[in-house]
Amino acid sequence: MEKASHLSVIIDLSPTQWHLSAQTSNQYPLSIETFLSQLLAFLNAHIASKHENSLVIFGALPGKSVLLYSSTELLSDDVPSLDANSYLPFKLVDSAVVQRIMNEFDAIGELEEEPPCALVGAVTKALCYINRITHPSSTTAGVAEDPSIVHDPRILILSVSPDLSSSYIPIMNAIFSAQKLALTIDVCKVYGPDTVFLQQAAHLTNGSYIYLERRDALLQYLIMSFLSPTSIRKILAVPKQDKIDFRAACFCHKNIVDIGFVCSVCLSSTHYLLLSCDLAVFCQPLPVCSTCRLATLVP
Amino acid sequence: MAPRNRDDNFMDVDSDSDISLLGDVERRGKGKGKGKAADKRKKDKGKAKAKEQAYTWEASYTRSWDTVQEDEAGSLQGAVEDLMARGRRRRLLAPAAAIRRTIIRHLVLLLDLSAAMMDRDMRPTRFDLMLQYAREFVVEWFDQNPLGQIGVVGMRAGIGERIGEMSGNPQDVLKCLSDRTRLEPTGEPSLQNAIEMARSSMSHLPTHSSREILIIFGSLTTCDPGNIHDTLDACVKNKIRISVVALAAEMKISRDLCDKTGGQFGVAMNEGHFKDILFELVPPPAQRAVARAGGPGANPAADLMMMGFPTRLPDSSPPSLCACHSDMKTEGFLCPRCMAKVCDVPTDCDICGLMIVSSPHLARSYHHLFPVKPYETVTSMEGESETTPACHACARIFSTSASTAAASEGISLWGRYRCPDCHNDFCTECDVFVHDVIHCCPGCGK
Amino acid sequence: MPVQSLKNTDVIVPQHAPHPLLPFLQSQSQTTLTRLYQRPSSCLSIFRLLGPIERQLIMNLLWLESALSAATMSAWVLPEGKNAYDSALTVMTGLHIAPNSAVKLALNPTFKSGLRQAITGGGNTGSFGVPTDKDAKRQSANIENLDAYALERWETILHYMVSSGQGQNPTKPSQGVLYLLQRSGLMNNVHGAALQITSSGFQFLLHSPHDQLWNLLLQYLHMAEERQMDLVEVLSFLFMLSTMDLGREYSTEPLSETQKAMLEDLRDYGLVWQRKTSSKRFSPTRLATTLTSSSPPLPSSHSTGGSRMADGTGAVALSSGAAQQGFIVLETNYRIYAYTDNPLQTAVLNLFITMKYRFPNLVVGMLTRESVRKALGNGISADQIISYLTTHAHPQMRKNNPLLPVTVQDQIRLWELERNRLKSAEGYLYKDFASQADYEYVLAYAKQLDVVLWENMAKRCFFGTLDGHANVRGFIERRTGSV
Repeated sequence: MEKASHLSVIIDLSPTQWHLSAQTSNQYPLSIETFLSQLLAFLNAHIASKHENSLVIFGALPGKSVLLYSSTELLSDDVPSLDANSYLPFKLVDSAVVQRIMNEFDAIGELEEEPPCALVGAVTKALCYINRITHPSSTTAGVAEDPSIVHDPRILILSVSPDLSSSYIPIMNAIFSAQKLALTIDVCKVYGPDTVFLQQAAHLTNGSYIYLERRDALLQYLIMSFLSPTSIRKILAVPKQDKIDFRAACFCHKNIVDIGFVCSVCLSSTHYLLLSCDLAVFCQPLPVCSTCRLATLVP
Repeated sequence: MAPRNRDDNFMDVDSDSDISLLGDVERRGKGKGKGKAADKRKKDKGKAKAKEQAYTWEASYTRSWDTVQEDEAGSLQGAVEDLMARGRRRRLLAPAAAIRRTIIRHLVLLLDLSAAMMDRDMRPTRFDLMLQYAREFVVEWFDQNPLGQIGVVGMRAGIGERIGEMSGNPQDVLKCLSDRTRLEPTGEPSLQNAIEMARSSMSHLPTHSSREILIIFGSLTTCDPGNIHDTLDACVKNKIRISVVALAAEMKISRDLCDKTGGQFGVAMNEGHFKDILFELVPPPAQRAVARAGGPGANPAADLMMMGFPTRLPDSSPPSLCACHSDMKTEGFLCPRCMAKVCDVPTDCDICGLMIVSSPHLARSYHHLFPVKPYETVTSMEGESETTPACHACARIFSTSASTAAASEGISLWGRYRCPDCHNDFCTECDVFVHDVIHCCPGCGK
Repeated sequence: MPVQSLKNTDVIVPQHAPHPLLPFLQSQSQTTLTRLYQRPSSCLSIFRLLGPIERQLIMNLLWLESALSAATMSAWVLPEGKNAYDSALTVMTGLHIAPNSAVKLALNPTFKSGLRQAITGGGNTGSFGVPTDKDAKRQSANIENLDAYALERWETILHYMVSSGQGQNPTKPSQGVLYLLQRSGLMNNVHGAALQITSSGFQFLLHSPHDQLWNLLLQYLHMAEERQMDLVEVLSFLFMLSTMDLGREYSTEPLSETQKAMLEDLRDYGLVWQRKTSSKRFSPTRLATTLTSSSPPLPSSHSTGGSRMADGTGAVALSSGAAQQGFIVLETNYRIYAYTDNPLQTAVLNLFITMKYRFPNLVVGMLTRESVRKALGNGISADQIISYLTTHAHPQMRKNNPLLPVTVQDQIRLWELERNRLKSAEGYLYKDFASQADYEYVLAYAKQLDVVLWENMAKRCFFGTLDGHANVRGFIERRTGSV
């Protein structure tokens, strides 16, 4: 029998990036409102596909990450009034997501400088959530979710912000946890330059990374590439990024480098690895390893 | 050393792999020389056990229920929670001081293939069990030491026999361990010959990598052509660490090999214990850091290694010759310096000699480097003006009343554990998951 | 060895067996279906009944304004998925969701707009049911009551069936249900006396509740056709029920006459609940709201309260009543321990085991040759017994791999094979050939046609199949004629 699938969606809600994205100078301007309406149609399509499909939505806001919607528990009691023309679960998602995003945006207010989006927090929360539903523990009170329902968990990241090199290590750790949980991370780059880390995330977890070229066709992209569970992807192919950048971020300037220097002291004895930048691009190899504070011999 | 004493207490319970529920991460925390103490304790315990049980086959049936105890209601709930709490406590007690680890590891696995390995005191035979565990060990070892390499040498009929060359590919190593008939035990073992062979295969290695020899030894004799103590001195000089897992009994020379080179020595009491002491050698060996006060220049071996992070070519790219095998291939990796195409990473570029690693390979070791701070147990809800209703990570709703279980250290009656940095509350499962798997706090994002 | 081959086919059984309703829908005319697709709730429900590939294809096409060339779509199909893709397209054409065209792929415009509307909401079709306002005076039924009600109704039906053969007198379901059972061939009255369960009825009992429900509903649909009910109305009402929210009351006002008449029938089956027969409001039960969810492969614990996600498991949990999880432990010595106090489950088990002891919460029995043969005689197949035991296995059993002891599985199959020692085939016996040469000549010809079932060289006769007779006879006649 076909199994139900679980989808965790992570929405990058950086106000600055969305503002830039909506600029009419773009070839295909995309405002957050249009984006949300198309995204909601996609989410509804996921719920529509199977009665048991579950859905969790996290938002990555500047400096924090929030749970926007979870199909296992209702966050608020204000169930929208029924109307005869719409299917209740769809309405629940739509109203919850839109309302909470608006609330969060209002709460942000005017800031001098926008802190970077907490994408890492959202990804790790999604992992914890998936860990919870796939490994129901006996210690929780009450009846846990049925262990025999194996969800086919997936994470979909809708990213608009560029790579944040300081989040390199946590993202990498998250990727390895995803591999351990045998889940797929899909990435849709809605706006902004390609992100190397998310490319690696999709590649290492066997997901697909899509750079949205025709942003007016967002919904079609979402449905064609990210709706199908892994079992269907063996029959109907999904687009994949072929060329993968395996670059890392250096520890000293947080630059993404393709040739780095790795402190062998760290490798052989201390806690830290040092990757300093490429000679030609930035700095000389550091005389002192910035993390282990030991002198280094320039090769 | 108060913490260590407590550590010992629960180590007693944990000597069987069956019940090591909560990751072996903390085992790494053990310092050098600690293994010795633990071994002694285990041996004491072994003696005690020997009185209780007459036959080895009874052993596997007698332990599991010793560790859990029912509460008054006959439920195991308390026992399970207690086990989880132990895991938590262990983490809290993990030494906070800097530990030096080796990330690029080179290991030679020395397998005893002498007639003594056909002994049936471990089922089915020592030899079969050793092969089975060795395979599991290799898989686990590569998982935790992605940049490492393993070579395999056998001791058979008085000589050392090279079974597998040093390789960074787990499949290669597993392949040479898979052919049982090729490894059929016979004759006497020779420690000296085998160690010399292992030593020579590691002599060329650069200084930044560790050199280790792991001996699985079932015989009680060794037949050597010369003075084995000379070999031992040479190993000490070459900074080769020798660890021995003995299947029969402790031999003076095996003990000396480990003590002098800083390795671990263990005698396996039964199948489960064999696996335990073998797998204790999986995590990178830790050394107490040379006091940091030494400051710059304290370690003359420090140097920077240049590493390249390649670009992966898509499967659909036009085929071209690779630098390593001169084969026509479409897929491959481009060396970032000389743009030569190589088939696989990690490797040294055949053209410019640059060490090419894929960054995920390196990154796999990072969680050793940046562990998440242990969460604090929320023991009292008083004075909390505003509390979150649900776990910050998985949105599980916290119970509002304290659990009735007996309070013990490391368990929160409210099921809440708080990150010292971001002050968010997490549930028990997420606490364990965050520290054992993700290695990244969902609240702070690092 | 036959046993082996049986086991193998078990594994190969296609993962996604098509839903039983689909063939029925495919047999309907295009106009009927198009009328059905006008309602968004029907589109959504039918969409859910389809297989995963069909669903993905529909979604791919849903938001396209123009048709897609078939080549573009099939470019996405991996070589190993070609067959699955083709059969998915056939299903879609059969349902008139996509017109039959080898060049262009597009959705039926009615279906397209219906499903779009379902997903985005809006429109004014009111196809998801008109909810009533909260009634302050009377408390509406809560979810537990609805579950209890549905369970009681459903088990009454099943219990009636299972105990009909044993001379007991359980509560009779209503006349409508009895008629339906009789019509569907699950029960029949042989001598004008009380209804007796038939062999297909026995098989029915071992199905999962989800299958049972659809089985009955399909019969209901067939019956509706005969009763001159408008099929579109009937179907769309069922689909509407399946998209309703559990524990809510809906108004009967917007329903058509046909649908109001249906309410009465569905109440008998336990699909809807009404306070009074004349009540202006009704609530769907879990049986109804989970119609379009696939029944989970294994019975499961009851869903946690308020958990929407786990609703799908409800239907199964419902029928197993008190023991919400699996309750059967089967040992290698053919002993069965069933932790249940549910008379229905006991009765069903009694179909194929010999009872040993009964305790308040435990039934102990044996699988014996006699008991299994009795079941086989009733028309239950070995596979059904095995799948029943598998689905209802106790959680403790789930740790075993394979779940059921292999010896027992094989033995049940062997007992079934025992019954199949004789195979009958119609045909003709050819004998009294004049000469050995004649005989061999004709036999060789018959063998060429592959129609020989049995031959005996010594007696100079052979047995051919019915359809080969004309050829063989013609051959013999031509031969005798020429001589």
